Amino acid sequence: MKVLVVDDFATMRKIIKNVLKQINIENVLEAENGKHALTVLGGDTVDLIISDWIMPEMTGIEFLKACKNDDNIKKIPFIMVTAEAQKDNIMEAIKSGVDNYIVKPFTPEKLREAIDKAKAKVGK
Amino acid sequence: MDVKYINPFIMAAQSVFRTMLGIEVTLSKPVIKTNRTTSGEVTGIMGLVGDRKGTITISFQDKGALFIYKTLIGDESSAINSDVVDAIGELTNIISGQARKEFEKAGINLKAAIPMVIVGKEIELNFITTLPIVQLPFNFSVGNGTQEVMFLDFSFE
Repeated sequence: MKVLVVDDFATMRKIIKNVLKQINIENVLEAENGKHALTVLGGDTVDLIISDWIMPEMTGIEFLKACKNDDNIKKIPFIMVTAEAQKDNIMEAIKSGVDNYIVKPFTPEKLREAIDKAKAKVGK
Repeated sequence: MDVKYINPFIMAAQSVFRTMLGIEVTLSKPVIKTNRTTSGEVTGIMGLVGDRKGTITISFQDKGALFIYKTLIGDESSAINSDVVDAIGELTNIISGQARKEFEKAGINLKAAIPMVIVGKEIELNFITTLPIVQLPFNFSVGNGTQEVMFLDFSFE
């Protein structure tokens, strides 16, 4: 499985990569915001997207909407990561077609669960 | 200080260590911090504002910070560098985020500032408040029977 991790903070990308490694997912691409992620997706195929919420240039929600409006990538399971269980943000993400979300802090098992549910939602 | 202001920080530290690091921490007796210096050698600082206001600091000695870095990121570092500093900053962010969630359950809504990290031993650090500064010492094992401490200091009103 190849995963695209999108977060403007390199340390957080490393943390997520380390958690993914603990569930045996080591093929990881990185992007520092939604705009950069779309460029990555234009040149590579991935099986899952894990994106932060607040990022410069293109936020997680904007990136999510761009993905779900693109026939070529809308079937890629999309998980959003947030530090706060803000109901308004989560509702907006759900309306915009997010396949699952996970609230920091999370265990490798929680992430695995979130991935499985996101994959099931898009029928993968 | 009202215990309802202390418990969210205890629960946040324990929860974050358990979930993000896979480590159980043990809380030693909370004390009132009387000195005006950082408690460890790598110290993350976060301001909180909203229905209440306050500041928390999370401080480790070198060995503890390097262990946290290794466990959180999966890389090893033999010295405190910018990567280790960033990891402690992110841990400060996550612990304060979890504490805010705990406060939210009690109907207290808070927002966080941007974390800062100070590196150095016994650096002068002044909480500008007349309220007591509570220090929560959390012990954790770094293997080979060695224990390290994370000091979570805060003032909250």
